[in-house]
Amino acid sequence: MAGWKSLFPVDLAEESRLSRREFARFLALVSAGFTGGIGYLWLRKKPLDGAPDPPGEAPATLRVCGAGDVGPGNSFLFTFRNPQDRCILVHTLQGHWRAYRQTCTHLGCAVRWDGRGLECPCHNGHFEVEQGFPVQGPPTRPLSRLDVEVRADGGVWVVGDQDRPSAMSGLS
Amino acid sequence: MRRAPFTGAALALILLIVLIQAYLFDTVLGAVLDGQRSQLPGALAVSVLLTAVALVLAFKIQYVSRIPAGDTEKAPGLDGRR
Repeated sequence: MAGWKSLFPVDLAEESRLSRREFARFLALVSAGFTGGIGYLWLRKKPLDGAPDPPGEAPATLRVCGAGDVGPGNSFLFTFRNPQDRCILVHTLQGHWRAYRQTCTHLGCAVRWDGRGLECPCHNGHFEVEQGFPVQGPPTRPLSRLDVEVRADGGVWVVGDQDRPSAMSGLS
Repeated sequence: MRRAPFTGAALALILLIVLIQAYLFDTVLGAVLDGQRSQLPGALAVSVLLTAVALVLAFKIQYVSRIPAGDTEKAPGLDGRR
């Protein structure tokens, strides 16, 4: 046996062996980690990226543009509650106005209007434009949608967050 | 007393608990991202309960008194190291 092995008699094969009890302890700690994560979400006051903001100090309404400024089939980018809250206004070919946060529900890339729907170029995710439901690619949850009004002054106004439907209702 | 073998049933139960926890966390995270926080307290309570069961199974239930203290025969499944 080499000199150093006699000084440090560690059997690597024995050391790397994982008993059933040790594995169970590891799993129990993983379970505790999930609990800690849920507790963190509960205690965290600031919304996560991509989540709708609660009503706060920012103005609840915003005049985005004039109704004639964005033709059918086109889109317009704007920020809503703060400079980081990037949103997209779409005037659909059917004449409807829709506004969504640009944050993709997959990994947070900015979605863009491709003429038929909203696409996320990072992982080729697609969302339909009427309600923001995912129709292709990795996203599984709908986009965060904003309420839009066309007012008598000819302006297109965003007037707050719309309750987001669950992914399950989108699949049904 | 001596350490009892860690049964496959206990390990399977802990595995099941971790799977439930993963599903629970995924569901809660999705709900929070959708702006719905109402189910967080309930999910946390369930998660704490499941974690408590897993921790008790993994850390507390180690010894049995039915095996005589002087019995040095290894029980099946024991690694014999500790």
